[in-house]
Amino acid sequence: MHDPSAAIRILGTLLVAGIAALDATPVAQTLLSQPLVTATVLGAIWGDWHTALEVGLVLQILSAATLPLGARTPEDYAVGGVIGISVALIAATRHPFAMVRESSALLGAIAGLLASVGGVGLLKWQRRRNEGLSRWCEAALRDGQLGALAAAHRAAIVLSFAVGVTYCAVWLAVAAPLAVKLASAESLRLARAFSLAQPLWLGLGVAQLLHAFVQRRLARAALFGVALVAAWLVLMVGSP
Amino acid sequence: MARLNSWVLFRMALRASLLQATWNYERQQGVGWAYSLEPALERLLPDPRQRAERLAEHTAYFNTQPTMASVALGVVAGLEERRAAGEGPDAAAMGRVKSVLGSSLAALGDRLFWMTLRPLAACVGALLAPAGMVRGALALWLCYNAVHLTLRFRGVGWGYRHGPEVLGERLRGAVGWLTLLISLGGCVVLGILTATLLAPGGVPRSLVFQVMLLTGIGVGFVVALRPRPSPTEWALGIAALCIAAAWMRGA
Repeated sequence: MHDPSAAIRILGTLLVAGIAALDATPVAQTLLSQPLVTATVLGAIWGDWHTALEVGLVLQILSAATLPLGARTPEDYAVGGVIGISVALIAATRHPFAMVRESSALLGAIAGLLASVGGVGLLKWQRRRNEGLSRWCEAALRDGQLGALAAAHRAAIVLSFAVGVTYCAVWLAVAAPLAVKLASAESLRLARAFSLAQPLWLGLGVAQLLHAFVQRRLARAALFGVALVAAWLVLMVGSP
Repeated sequence: MARLNSWVLFRMALRASLLQATWNYERQQGVGWAYSLEPALERLLPDPRQRAERLAEHTAYFNTQPTMASVALGVVAGLEERRAAGEGPDAAAMGRVKSVLGSSLAALGDRLFWMTLRPLAACVGALLAPAGMVRGALALWLCYNAVHLTLRFRGVGWGYRHGPEVLGERLRGAVGWLTLLISLGGCVVLGILTATLLAPGGVPRSLVFQVMLLTGIGVGFVVALRPRPSPTEWALGIAALCIAAAWMRGA
Protein backbone atom coordinates (compact mmCIF):
# COMPACT_ATOMS: atom_id res chain seq x y z
CA MET A 1 0.00 0.00 0.00
CA HIS A 2 2.30 2.80 -1.21
CA ASP A 3 -0.57 4.81 -2.62
CA PRO A 4 -1.37 7.65 -0.16
CA SER A 5 -5.08 7.47 -0.99
CA ALA A 6 -5.03 3.75 -0.04
CA ALA A 7 -3.53 4.64 3.35
CA ILE A 8 -6.28 7.23 3.90
CA ARG A 9 -8.89 4.62 2.95
CA ILE A 10 -7.42 2.12 5.40
CA LEU A 11 -7.44 4.76 8.14
CA GLY A 12 -11.07 5.59 7.29
CA THR A 13 -11.93 1.88 7.47
CA LEU A 14 -10.30 1.53 10.90
CA LEU A 15 -12.21 4.59 12.14
CA VAL A 16 -15.48 3.04 10.93
CA ALA A 17 -14.54 -0.18 12.79
CA GLY A 18 -13.96 1.79 16.01
CA ILE A 19 -17.26 3.66 15.68
CA ALA A 20 -19.10 0.40 14.91
CA ALA A 21 -17.56 -1.23 18.00
CA LEU A 22 -18.84 1.68 20.11
CA ASP A 23 -22.34 1.80 18.63
CA ALA A 24 -22.89 -1.96 18.92
CA THR A 25 -23.05 -1.99 22.73
CA PRO A 26 -21.22 0.69 24.74
CA VAL A 27 -22.61 3.89 23.17
CA ALA A 28 -26.18 4.69 22.08
CA GLN A 29 -27.00 1.47 20.12
CA THR A 30 -28.54 3.42 17.23
CA LEU A 31 -27.78 0.69 14.62
CA LEU A 32 -25.01 2.75 12.98
CA SER A 33 -23.00 -0.45 13.39
CA GLN A 34 -25.32 -2.57 11.23
CA PRO A 35 -23.55 -4.05 8.18
CA LEU A 36 -25.79 -2.23 5.69
CA VAL A 37 -24.94 1.16 7.23
CA THR A 38 -21.20 0.46 7.50
CA ALA A 39 -21.27 -0.97 3.94
CA THR A 40 -22.66 2.36 2.71
CA VAL A 41 -19.87 4.32 4.40
CA LEU A 42 -17.16 1.87 3.27
CA GLY A 43 -18.58 1.81 -0.27
CA ALA A 44 -18.16 5.59 -0.35
CA ILE A 45 -14.62 5.40 1.10
CA TRP A 46 -13.44 2.74 -1.39
CA GLY A 47 -15.57 3.99 -4.31
CA ASP A 48 -17.24 0.62 -4.97
CA TRP A 49 -20.91 0.48 -4.01
CA HIS A 50 -21.59 -2.74 -5.89
CA THR A 51 -19.22 -4.99 -3.91
CA ALA A 52 -20.09 -3.23 -0.65
CA LEU A 53 -23.79 -3.90 -1.25
CA GLU A 54 -23.29 -7.57 -2.15
CA VAL A 55 -21.38 -8.35 1.05
CA GLY A 56 -23.31 -5.85 3.22
CA LEU A 57 -26.69 -7.30 2.25
CA VAL A 58 -25.69 -10.87 3.10
CA LEU A 59 -24.17 -9.90 6.46
CA GLN A 60 -27.12 -7.59 7.26
CA ILE A 61 -29.74 -10.28 6.66
CA LEU A 62 -27.75 -12.81 8.72
CA SER A 63 -27.02 -10.36 11.56
CA ALA A 64 -30.64 -9.17 11.88
CA ALA A 65 -31.61 -12.54 13.35
CA THR A 66 -28.77 -12.51 15.90
CA LEU A 67 -30.34 -11.41 19.16
CA PRO A 68 -28.46 -9.85 22.12
CA LEU A 69 -30.92 -11.23 24.69
CA GLY A 70 -30.10 -11.30 28.41
CA ALA A 71 -26.47 -12.09 29.20
CA ARG A 72 -25.86 -13.92 25.87
CA THR A 73 -22.86 -12.61 23.94
CA PRO A 74 -23.97 -12.52 20.30
CA GLU A 75 -21.66 -12.72 17.28
CA ASP A 76 -19.92 -9.39 16.70
CA TYR A 77 -21.43 -8.42 13.34
CA ALA A 78 -20.57 -4.76 13.98
CA VAL A 79 -16.79 -5.04 13.63
CA GLY A 80 -17.10 -8.36 11.75
CA GLY A 81 -19.22 -6.58 9.14
CA VAL A 82 -16.64 -3.81 8.69
CA ILE A 83 -13.89 -6.43 8.33
CA GLY A 84 -15.80 -8.54 5.80
CA ILE A 85 -16.88 -5.62 3.66
CA SER A 86 -13.45 -3.99 3.63
CA VAL A 87 -11.64 -7.27 2.81
CA ALA A 88 -13.97 -7.66 -0.19
CA LEU A 89 -13.47 -4.02 -1.21
CA ILE A 90 -9.67 -4.23 -0.99
CA ALA A 91 -9.61 -7.42 -3.08
CA ALA A 92 -12.06 -6.03 -5.65
CA THR A 93 -10.23 -2.69 -5.95
CA ARG A 94 -7.01 -4.45 -6.99
CA HIS A 95 -8.66 -6.32 -9.89
CA PRO A 96 -11.86 -4.57 -10.96
CA PHE A 97 -13.28 -7.33 -13.20
CA ALA A 98 -16.78 -8.74 -12.72
CA MET A 99 -15.63 -12.25 -11.86
CA VAL A 100 -12.95 -11.05 -9.44
CA ARG A 101 -15.58 -8.87 -7.80
CA GLU A 102 -17.82 -11.89 -7.19
CA SER A 103 -14.92 -13.92 -5.79
CA SER A 104 -13.94 -10.95 -3.59
CA ALA A 105 -17.51 -10.77 -2.30
CA LEU A 106 -17.38 -14.46 -1.31
CA LEU A 107 -14.05 -14.07 0.47
CA GLY A 108 -15.27 -10.88 2.16
CA ALA A 109 -18.47 -12.52 3.39
CA ILE A 110 -16.51 -15.50 4.77
CA ALA A 111 -14.02 -13.14 6.45
CA GLY A 112 -16.96 -11.21 7.94
CA LEU A 113 -18.60 -14.35 9.30
CA LEU A 114 -15.33 -15.66 10.78
CA ALA A 115 -14.49 -12.27 12.30
CA SER A 116 -18.00 -12.07 13.82
CA VAL A 117 -17.55 -15.46 15.49
CA GLY A 118 -13.99 -14.60 16.56
CA GLY A 119 -15.19 -11.29 18.01
CA VAL A 120 -17.29 -13.09 20.65
CA GLY A 121 -14.13 -13.99 22.58
CA LEU A 122 -12.99 -10.36 22.56
CA LEU A 123 -16.39 -9.12 23.74
CA LYS A 124 -16.32 -11.64 26.60
CA TRP A 125 -12.80 -10.51 27.53
CA GLN A 126 -13.93 -6.86 27.65
CA ARG A 127 -16.93 -7.79 29.77
CA ARG A 128 -14.78 -9.70 32.23
CA ARG A 129 -12.38 -6.75 32.35
CA ASN A 130 -15.30 -4.43 33.14
CA GLU A 131 -16.01 -6.53 36.25
CA GLY A 132 -12.78 -5.24 37.81
CA LEU A 133 -13.64 -1.74 36.66
CA SER A 134 -17.06 -1.85 38.32
CA ARG A 135 -15.61 -3.14 41.62
CA TRP A 136 -13.01 -0.36 41.54
CA CYS A 137 -15.77 2.15 40.79
CA GLU A 138 -17.88 1.12 43.79
CA ALA A 139 -14.85 1.20 46.10
CA ALA A 140 -13.85 4.66 44.80
CA LEU A 141 -17.38 5.98 45.34
CA ARG A 142 -17.48 4.64 48.89
CA ASP A 143 -14.18 6.50 49.30
CA GLY A 144 -15.93 9.70 48.24
CA GLN A 145 -14.48 10.01 44.72
CA LEU A 146 -17.43 11.28 42.71
CA GLY A 147 -15.46 11.33 39.45
CA ALA A 148 -15.07 7.52 39.52
CA LEU A 149 -18.21 6.89 37.45
CA ALA A 150 -17.13 9.17 34.59
CA ALA A 151 -13.57 7.75 34.73
CA ALA A 152 -14.87 4.16 34.53
CA HIS A 153 -17.03 5.05 31.52
CA ARG A 154 -14.16 6.80 29.76
CA ALA A 155 -11.90 3.77 30.30
CA ALA A 156 -14.51 1.28 29.03
CA ILE A 157 -15.29 3.39 25.93
CA VAL A 158 -11.61 3.89 25.04
CA LEU A 159 -10.99 0.15 25.49
CA SER A 160 -13.94 -0.77 23.29
CA PHE A 161 -12.86 1.63 20.52
CA ALA A 162 -9.25 0.42 20.68
CA VAL A 163 -10.27 -3.25 20.58
CA GLY A 164 -12.51 -2.60 17.53
CA VAL A 165 -9.76 -0.75 15.65
CA THR A 166 -7.03 -3.27 16.55
CA TYR A 167 -9.15 -6.31 15.70
CA CYS A 168 -10.01 -4.80 12.33
CA ALA A 169 -6.36 -3.84 11.66
CA VAL A 170 -5.13 -7.38 12.43
CA TRP A 171 -7.77 -8.93 10.16
CA LEU A 172 -6.97 -6.52 7.33
CA ALA A 173 -3.23 -7.16 7.67
CA VAL A 174 -3.71 -10.93 7.53
CA ALA A 175 -6.80 -11.54 5.41
CA ALA A 176 -6.69 -8.74 2.83
CA PRO A 177 -3.41 -9.79 1.08
CA LEU A 178 -4.64 -13.40 1.08
CA ALA A 179 -7.99 -12.35 -0.40
CA VAL A 180 -6.26 -10.25 -3.09
CA LYS A 181 -4.19 -13.29 -4.18
CA LEU A 182 -7.03 -15.80 -3.99
CA ALA A 183 -9.59 -13.55 -5.71
CA SER A 184 -7.40 -13.18 -8.79
CA ALA A 185 -5.88 -16.70 -8.86
CA GLU A 186 -9.11 -18.63 -8.32
CA SER A 187 -11.66 -16.11 -9.56
CA LEU A 188 -13.69 -18.56 -11.65
CA ARG A 189 -14.20 -21.17 -8.95
CA LEU A 190 -14.79 -18.60 -6.20
CA ALA A 191 -17.26 -16.62 -8.34
CA ARG A 192 -19.12 -19.87 -8.99
CA ALA A 193 -19.13 -20.67 -5.28
CA PHE A 194 -20.52 -17.18 -4.56
CA SER A 195 -23.36 -17.67 -7.05
CA LEU A 196 -24.35 -20.78 -5.02
CA ALA A 197 -23.68 -19.40 -1.54
CA GLN A 198 -25.31 -15.95 -1.90
CA PRO A 199 -28.92 -17.18 -2.39
CA LEU A 200 -28.44 -19.85 0.30
CA TRP A 201 -27.22 -17.24 2.78
CA LEU A 202 -30.04 -14.85 1.90
CA GLY A 203 -32.60 -17.66 2.21
CA LEU A 204 -31.16 -18.70 5.59
CA GLY A 205 -31.47 -15.11 6.85
CA VAL A 206 -34.97 -14.61 5.42
CA ALA A 207 -36.15 -17.77 7.23
CA GLN A 208 -34.69 -16.53 10.52
CA LEU A 209 -36.44 -13.18 10.14
CA LEU A 210 -39.71 -14.84 9.16
CA HIS A 211 -39.48 -17.06 12.24
CA ALA A 212 -39.04 -13.92 14.39
CA PHE A 213 -42.08 -12.17 12.87
CA VAL A 214 -44.46 -15.13 12.51
CA GLN A 215 -43.98 -16.62 16.02
CA ARG A 216 -45.85 -19.79 14.91
CA ARG A 217 -49.03 -17.86 14.08
CA LEU A 218 -50.66 -19.11 10.89
CA ALA A 219 -52.33 -15.79 10.04
CA ARG A 220 -48.94 -14.01 9.99
CA ALA A 221 -47.44 -16.70 7.77
CA ALA A 222 -50.41 -16.23 5.42
CA LEU A 223 -49.79 -12.46 5.42
CA PHE A 224 -46.17 -13.08 4.38
CA GLY A 225 -47.37 -15.40 1.58
CA VAL A 226 -49.94 -12.91 0.30
CA ALA A 227 -47.36 -10.07 0.33
CA LEU A 228 -44.84 -12.27 -1.50
CA VAL A 229 -47.27 -13.29 -4.26
CA ALA A 230 -48.73 -9.78 -4.62
CA ALA A 231 -45.27 -8.16 -4.82
CA TRP A 232 -44.09 -10.79 -7.31
CA LEU A 233 -47.16 -10.19 -9.50
CA VAL A 234 -46.69 -6.42 -9.35
CA LEU A 235 -43.01 -6.82 -10.27
CA MET A 236 -43.73 -9.18 -13.17
CA VAL A 237 -46.82 -7.43 -14.55
CA GLY A 238 -45.64 -3.91 -13.83
CA SER A 239 -42.30 -4.31 -15.61
CA PRO A 240 -42.16 -3.59 -19.36
CA MET B 1 -37.79 19.97 48.87
CA ALA B 2 -35.66 19.87 45.68
CA ARG B 3 -37.53 18.75 42.54
CA LEU B 4 -36.19 17.39 39.30
CA ASN B 5 -36.69 19.59 36.25
CA SER B 6 -36.80 18.68 32.57
CA TRP B 7 -33.11 19.60 32.06
CA VAL B 8 -32.07 17.02 34.67
CA LEU B 9 -34.34 14.39 33.06
CA PHE B 10 -32.82 15.20 29.64
CA ARG B 11 -29.29 14.79 31.02
CA MET B 12 -30.30 11.42 32.48
CA ALA B 13 -31.64 10.33 29.08
CA LEU B 14 -28.39 11.42 27.42
CA ARG B 15 -26.35 9.43 29.91
CA ALA B 16 -28.63 6.42 29.40
CA SER B 17 -26.95 6.15 25.98
CA LEU B 18 -23.89 4.93 27.91
CA LEU B 19 -25.85 2.46 30.08
CA GLN B 20 -24.04 -0.52 28.56
CA ALA B 21 -20.55 1.01 28.32
CA THR B 22 -19.31 -0.85 31.41
CA TRP B 23 -21.53 -3.95 30.93
CA ASN B 24 -20.09 -6.95 32.78
CA TYR B 25 -21.18 -10.40 33.93
CA GLU B 26 -21.20 -9.51 37.63
CA ARG B 27 -23.34 -6.33 37.77
CA GLN B 28 -24.39 -6.11 34.11
CA GLN B 29 -25.66 -2.50 33.67
CA GLY B 30 -25.11 -1.52 37.33
CA VAL B 31 -22.34 1.06 36.86
CA GLY B 32 -24.03 2.56 33.78
CA TRP B 33 -27.24 2.81 35.78
CA ALA B 34 -25.51 4.76 38.56
CA TYR B 35 -23.89 7.07 35.98
CA SER B 36 -27.27 7.76 34.34
CA LEU B 37 -28.87 8.51 37.70
CA GLU B 38 -26.08 10.89 38.78
CA PRO B 39 -27.67 14.13 37.41
CA ALA B 40 -30.78 13.49 39.53
CA LEU B 41 -28.78 12.77 42.68
CA GLU B 42 -26.61 15.84 42.05
CA ARG B 43 -29.74 17.94 42.40
CA LEU B 44 -31.37 16.00 45.22
CA LEU B 45 -28.35 15.37 47.45
CA PRO B 46 -26.08 18.45 47.66
CA ASP B 47 -23.79 16.72 50.21
CA PRO B 48 -21.04 15.01 48.12
CA ARG B 49 -20.37 12.33 50.77
CA GLN B 50 -24.03 11.28 50.93
CA ARG B 51 -24.31 11.40 47.12
CA ALA B 52 -21.24 9.20 46.65
CA GLU B 53 -22.67 6.64 49.11
CA ARG B 54 -26.01 6.61 47.28
CA LEU B 55 -24.31 6.24 43.89
CA ALA B 56 -22.22 3.33 45.24
CA GLU B 57 -25.49 1.69 46.31
CA HIS B 58 -26.80 2.05 42.75
CA THR B 59 -23.77 0.33 41.18
CA ALA B 60 -25.27 -3.02 42.30
CA TYR B 61 -26.63 -5.51 39.76
CA PHE B 62 -29.18 -4.15 37.30
CA ASN B 63 -30.20 -5.33 33.86
CA THR B 64 -32.98 -4.60 31.41
CA GLN B 65 -33.48 -3.87 27.73
CA PRO B 66 -31.28 -0.75 27.24
CA THR B 67 -33.87 1.52 25.60
CA MET B 68 -36.59 0.66 28.12
CA ALA B 69 -34.10 1.46 30.92
CA SER B 70 -35.07 5.13 30.45
CA VAL B 71 -38.51 4.42 31.92
CA ALA B 72 -36.97 2.64 34.92
CA LEU B 73 -34.55 5.57 35.40
CA GLY B 74 -37.46 8.01 35.54
CA VAL B 75 -39.32 5.90 38.11
CA VAL B 76 -36.26 5.51 40.34
CA ALA B 77 -35.42 9.23 40.04
CA GLY B 78 -38.93 9.99 41.31
CA LEU B 79 -38.46 7.57 44.21
CA GLU B 80 -35.07 9.13 45.01
CA GLU B 81 -36.81 12.52 45.11
CA ARG B 82 -39.21 11.19 47.74
CA ARG B 83 -36.33 9.51 49.56
CA ALA B 84 -34.42 12.79 49.71
CA ALA B 85 -37.52 14.35 51.29
CA GLY B 86 -37.53 11.56 53.90
CA GLU B 87 -40.60 9.74 52.52
CA GLY B 88 -39.40 7.21 49.97
CA PRO B 89 -38.34 3.56 50.20
CA ASP B 90 -35.14 2.42 51.95
CA ALA B 91 -32.17 0.88 50.13
CA ALA B 92 -33.55 -2.69 50.28
CA ALA B 93 -36.97 -1.65 48.97
CA MET B 94 -35.30 0.39 46.21
CA GLY B 95 -33.38 -2.74 45.19
CA ARG B 96 -36.62 -4.70 44.95
CA VAL B 97 -38.30 -1.96 42.87
CA LYS B 98 -35.31 -1.90 40.48
CA SER B 99 -35.41 -5.67 40.14
CA VAL B 100 -39.13 -5.70 39.26
CA LEU B 101 -38.75 -2.76 36.86
CA GLY B 102 -35.73 -4.36 35.16
CA SER B 103 -37.33 -7.74 34.52
CA SER B 104 -40.75 -6.36 33.49
CA LEU B 105 -39.30 -3.79 31.09
CA ALA B 106 -36.88 -6.36 29.65
CA ALA B 107 -39.80 -8.67 28.86
CA LEU B 108 -41.56 -5.85 26.98
CA GLY B 109 -38.43 -4.33 25.40
CA ASP B 110 -36.77 -7.53 24.17
CA ARG B 111 -39.89 -8.45 22.20
CA LEU B 112 -40.35 -4.93 20.85
CA PHE B 113 -36.76 -4.01 19.96
CA TRP B 114 -34.73 -7.18 19.42
CA MET B 115 -37.38 -9.56 18.06
CA THR B 116 -39.44 -7.23 15.87
CA LEU B 117 -38.19 -3.66 15.36
CA ARG B 118 -34.53 -4.47 14.58
CA PRO B 119 -35.45 -7.23 12.08
CA LEU B 120 -38.05 -4.90 10.49
CA ALA B 121 -35.50 -2.09 10.14
CA ALA B 122 -33.07 -4.55 8.53
CA CYS B 123 -35.75 -5.70 6.06
CA VAL B 124 -36.68 -2.12 5.13
CA GLY B 125 -33.00 -1.26 4.63
CA ALA B 126 -32.32 -4.39 2.57
CA LEU B 127 -35.39 -3.73 0.44
CA LEU B 128 -34.38 -0.15 -0.41
CA ALA B 129 -30.58 -0.59 -0.62
CA PRO B 130 -30.41 -2.00 -4.18
CA ALA B 131 -32.08 1.21 -5.45
CA GLY B 132 -29.56 3.35 -3.55
CA MET B 133 -27.35 2.35 -0.65
CA VAL B 134 -27.62 5.68 1.14
CA ARG B 135 -31.41 5.47 0.95
CA GLY B 136 -31.36 1.92 2.33
CA ALA B 137 -29.00 2.73 5.19
CA LEU B 138 -30.95 5.88 6.07
CA ALA B 139 -34.27 3.99 6.01
CA LEU B 140 -32.84 1.31 8.33
CA TRP B 141 -31.51 3.92 10.75
CA LEU B 142 -34.69 6.05 10.78
CA CYS B 143 -37.04 3.08 11.06
CA TYR B 144 -35.29 1.88 14.23
CA ASN B 145 -34.50 5.23 15.80
CA ALA B 146 -37.96 6.71 15.39
CA VAL B 147 -39.00 4.36 18.20
CA HIS B 148 -35.64 3.90 19.96
CA LEU B 149 -34.74 7.57 20.41
CA THR B 150 -38.32 8.59 21.24
CA LEU B 151 -38.46 6.04 24.04
CA ARG B 152 -34.94 6.82 25.24
CA PHE B 153 -35.60 10.55 25.58
CA ARG B 154 -39.28 10.57 26.57
CA GLY B 155 -39.15 7.41 28.67
CA VAL B 156 -37.40 9.14 31.58
CA GLY B 157 -40.18 11.73 31.79
CA TRP B 158 -42.92 9.07 31.61
CA GLY B 159 -41.31 7.04 34.38
CA TYR B 160 -40.79 10.13 36.55
CA ARG B 161 -44.38 11.36 36.16
CA HIS B 162 -46.17 8.03 36.61
CA GLY B 163 -43.88 6.34 39.15
CA PRO B 164 -44.00 2.54 39.58
CA GLU B 165 -47.57 2.58 38.20
CA VAL B 166 -46.02 3.18 34.75
CA LEU B 167 -45.84 -0.62 34.45
CA GLY B 168 -49.63 -0.80 34.44
CA GLU B 169 -51.95 -1.90 31.68
CA ARG B 170 -51.48 1.29 29.63
CA LEU B 171 -47.78 0.79 28.90
CA ARG B 172 -48.14 -2.98 28.44
CA GLY B 173 -51.07 -2.45 26.08
CA ALA B 174 -49.27 0.23 24.05
CA VAL B 175 -46.06 -1.81 23.72
CA GLY B 176 -48.10 -4.95 22.93
CA TRP B 177 -49.97 -3.16 20.14
CA LEU B 178 -46.79 -1.65 18.75
CA THR B 179 -45.07 -5.06 18.76
CA LEU B 180 -48.04 -6.64 16.97
CA LEU B 181 -48.14 -3.86 14.35
CA ILE B 182 -44.40 -4.14 13.71
CA SER B 183 -44.64 -7.94 13.42
CA LEU B 184 -47.43 -7.66 10.85
CA GLY B 185 -45.52 -4.94 8.99
CA GLY B 186 -42.44 -7.17 9.12
CA CYS B 187 -44.33 -10.08 7.50
CA VAL B 188 -45.43 -7.77 4.65
CA VAL B 189 -42.00 -6.16 4.13
CA LEU B 190 -40.27 -9.55 4.25
CA GLY B 191 -42.73 -10.88 1.62
CA ILE B 192 -41.92 -7.95 -0.66
CA LEU B 193 -38.17 -8.38 -0.01
CA THR B 194 -38.35 -12.09 -0.93
CA ALA B 195 -40.22 -11.27 -4.14
CA THR B 196 -37.59 -8.62 -4.96
CA LEU B 197 -34.81 -11.15 -4.37
CA LEU B 198 -36.52 -13.60 -6.75
CA ALA B 199 -37.21 -11.04 -9.49
CA PRO B 200 -35.39 -7.72 -8.94
CA GLY B 201 -36.96 -5.00 -11.06
CA GLY B 202 -39.35 -7.57 -12.60
CA VAL B 203 -36.53 -9.61 -14.17
CA PRO B 204 -36.57 -13.15 -12.75
CA ARG B 205 -33.23 -14.43 -11.45
CA SER B 206 -31.79 -17.67 -12.82
CA LEU B 207 -33.48 -20.94 -11.87
CA VAL B 208 -30.37 -21.93 -9.88
CA PHE B 209 -30.65 -18.72 -7.80
CA GLN B 210 -34.37 -19.24 -7.18
CA VAL B 211 -33.92 -22.90 -6.18
CA MET B 212 -30.98 -22.02 -3.93
CA LEU B 213 -32.94 -19.20 -2.25
CA LEU B 214 -35.85 -21.52 -1.51
CA THR B 215 -33.43 -24.21 -0.28
CA GLY B 216 -31.85 -21.61 2.00
CA ILE B 217 -35.28 -20.69 3.38
CA GLY B 218 -36.00 -24.38 4.02
CA VAL B 219 -32.66 -24.86 5.81
CA GLY B 220 -33.31 -21.63 7.74
CA PHE B 221 -36.57 -22.98 9.19
CA VAL B 222 -34.77 -26.08 10.48
CA VAL B 223 -31.99 -23.87 11.90
CA ALA B 224 -34.51 -21.56 13.60
CA LEU B 225 -35.89 -24.45 15.66
CA ARG B 226 -32.50 -25.36 17.16
CA PRO B 227 -30.28 -23.18 19.38
CA ARG B 228 -27.05 -24.87 18.10
CA PRO B 229 -25.34 -24.57 15.67
CA SER B 230 -26.06 -20.85 15.35
CA PRO B 231 -27.18 -19.33 12.00
CA THR B 232 -23.66 -17.87 11.60
CA GLU B 233 -22.11 -21.33 11.98
CA TRP B 234 -24.62 -22.68 9.44
CA ALA B 235 -23.65 -19.85 7.06
CA LEU B 236 -19.97 -20.83 7.40
CA GLY B 237 -20.88 -24.46 6.70
CA ILE B 238 -22.79 -23.36 3.59
CA ALA B 239 -19.72 -21.42 2.41
CA ALA B 240 -17.49 -24.49 2.81
CA LEU B 241 -20.02 -26.66 0.94
CA CYS B 242 -20.34 -24.19 -1.96
CA ILE B 243 -16.55 -23.84 -2.32
CA ALA B 244 -16.21 -27.64 -2.31
CA ALA B 245 -18.96 -27.91 -4.94
CA ALA B 246 -17.28 -25.27 -7.14
CA TRP B 247 -13.90 -27.04 -6.82
CA MET B 248 -15.35 -30.45 -7.66
CA ARG B 249 -16.92 -29.06 -10.79
CA GLY B 250 -13.49 -27.81 -11.90
CA ALA B 251 -12.43 -24.64 -13.66
